[in-house]
Amino acid sequence: MATQHSRAAARLMISPSVILLLGWMLIPLGLTLYFSFLRYNLLMPGANPFVGWENYSYFLSDPAFKAAIVNTLLLVVGVLVITVVGGTLLAILLDQAMWGQGIVRILVIAPFFVMPTVSALVWKNMFMNPVNGLFAHLAKFLGLPPFDFFAAAPLASIIGIVSWQWLPFATLILLTAMQSLDSERLEAAEMDGAGPLSRFWYMVLPHLSRAITVVILIQTIFLLSVFAEILVTTNGGPGNASTNLTYLVYAESLLRFDVGTGSAGGVVAIILANIVAIFLMRMIGKNLDA
Amino acid sequence: MGRITLDKVRKAFGDVEVIPPLDLTIEEGEFVVFVGPSGCGKSTLLRLIAGLEDVSSGEIRIDGQNATDLPPAKRRLAMVFQSYALYPHMTVRKNIAFPLKMAGLDQAAQDKKVEGAASVLNLTDYLERRPGQLSGGQRQRVAIGRAIVREPAAFLFDEPLSNLDAALRVGMRMEISELHERLKTTMIYVTHDQVEAMTMADKIVVLRAGNIEQVGSPLELYRAPRNVFVAGFIGSPKMNLIDGEEAAKRNAHTIGIRPEHITPSPDAGTWEGTVGVAEHLGSDTFFHVHLPGREEPMTVRAGGEVSLHHGDKIFLTPDETQLHRFDAQGLRI
Repeated sequence: MATQHSRAAARLMISPSVILLLGWMLIPLGLTLYFSFLRYNLLMPGANPFVGWENYSYFLSDPAFKAAIVNTLLLVVGVLVITVVGGTLLAILLDQAMWGQGIVRILVIAPFFVMPTVSALVWKNMFMNPVNGLFAHLAKFLGLPPFDFFAAAPLASIIGIVSWQWLPFATLILLTAMQSLDSERLEAAEMDGAGPLSRFWYMVLPHLSRAITVVILIQTIFLLSVFAEILVTTNGGPGNASTNLTYLVYAESLLRFDVGTGSAGGVVAIILANIVAIFLMRMIGKNLDA
Repeated sequence: MGRITLDKVRKAFGDVEVIPPLDLTIEEGEFVVFVGPSGCGKSTLLRLIAGLEDVSSGEIRIDGQNATDLPPAKRRLAMVFQSYALYPHMTVRKNIAFPLKMAGLDQAAQDKKVEGAASVLNLTDYLERRPGQLSGGQRQRVAIGRAIVREPAAFLFDEPLSNLDAALRVGMRMEISELHERLKTTMIYVTHDQVEAMTMADKIVVLRAGNIEQVGSPLELYRAPRNVFVAGFIGSPKMNLIDGEEAAKRNAHTIGIRPEHITPSPDAGTWEGTVGVAEHLGSDTFFHVHLPGREEPMTVRAGGEVSLHHGDKIFLTPDETQLHRFDAQGLRI
């Protein structure tokens, strides 16, 4: 690919896919931007006048917005903490030689293949239901009053469900990283007098740091847009207790039929996601090129 | 400090006995080399001493104290691994200081010892670098540095030079011997390279399939190998081993003769053959001589200035006083 000619040919050949991708991204983005400056409500058909920043000021001053931001952050951070810590511990466990290792590994990875809607429904109806759920039966067996998860702790319950889904992903990535750790290095540390905890802290954890970075980056992207789990369990309630930014945008555009405000919310979400991304890259991105 | 005794030490992985019961004493301050072909159990034996593997039965004593069930860290042994096993995320300084940090030494004492070890090993300029930025020989020295700061009762080396190129290997061999002279600490060194064994050891332990074939000083092993295996393994180029008629003439099942104990001559001698490949080393020349009725060529040492060529006729005369004779079991007569 060195000559002028071949470079030009290469550009020509990749251009269809680049143009397609650009169109795919730019047209919806442009339309969203356009809608966000219109008064565009499906319940009031007719003229869609240009209203400037009105939709934005309406969306940003909505008390639900502040709650949604807090909930989004709590959800992302909560799931990240649970999956990274739990994933590391599970990876250590699965790295040990044991009988039935292959089957256990597949079982651990299985939740990742369950669709979010399905897993949330299973959790809602079979585990967390205060009348028929397994946890309710367990509580009754122990003589305790059943706990109504989605009424009393809606966000925590959703964090639990989403963590359950993402734990296998973290475990899988961290397990493969763990397996690339040179066993002689651990033995050397052992000879140097490092106990199991010191070995974990000084050898295993630094070795895993890069994999943990990858897990955090990838999961953050997906966790910012958690939606299905909220829709099928709490519908963002009670009140706004489990509404995140994605769900708020949905509620504006498809429950209140206010496309203009919904679009404004979408644009705000894009900007916030990019701010988070920049911070993440700054904070832990340097881990990747070391 | 540093006397290690193995008493009927046995190791089995499942049903496979890797090391049958074995007795060995390593004296204080000795440089002992375990040598043998790949898979002879020499590394396993070292790991048993280090405590990285559990013995199946028997007892390991270090300075008279039973160490069989002690964890590796409590045995006061330091090990240098084949891959060096440096900690890539730490600087050289932190690598060397790691065992001290684990022992709970304060920062000042750590620094002092690290500086000391670094100056001994010429690493002072590299203390702030990471292992990834060092050459093979420097990494090797860092691994040794990490071992010496602990002031162990004995050093264990597991094929430490096998990842280095030939020139560096010779240099590091000297450095390790030098280090042993200076520290006077017991060292146990595992290698498959008999040249390393011959040049470095006070005592060589030749192993085959977990069994000790012979223990002795390099020259003892060279001059009086106890059996055919040791005879063939020690010495480079290898000893010529001859079975059959020629051996029977000398009342043996097998006879062995080293390349330097054969006199080549162009016109008269005991055996007649043709010259094959000649290896000119400058000081010496090694001829591979094909004798009729023998598959393997005989190796013969001659001076540097011999003019014999491929295909020439040659006569060989063994020095009868330097012949090694072995019986049908391969044992020395």
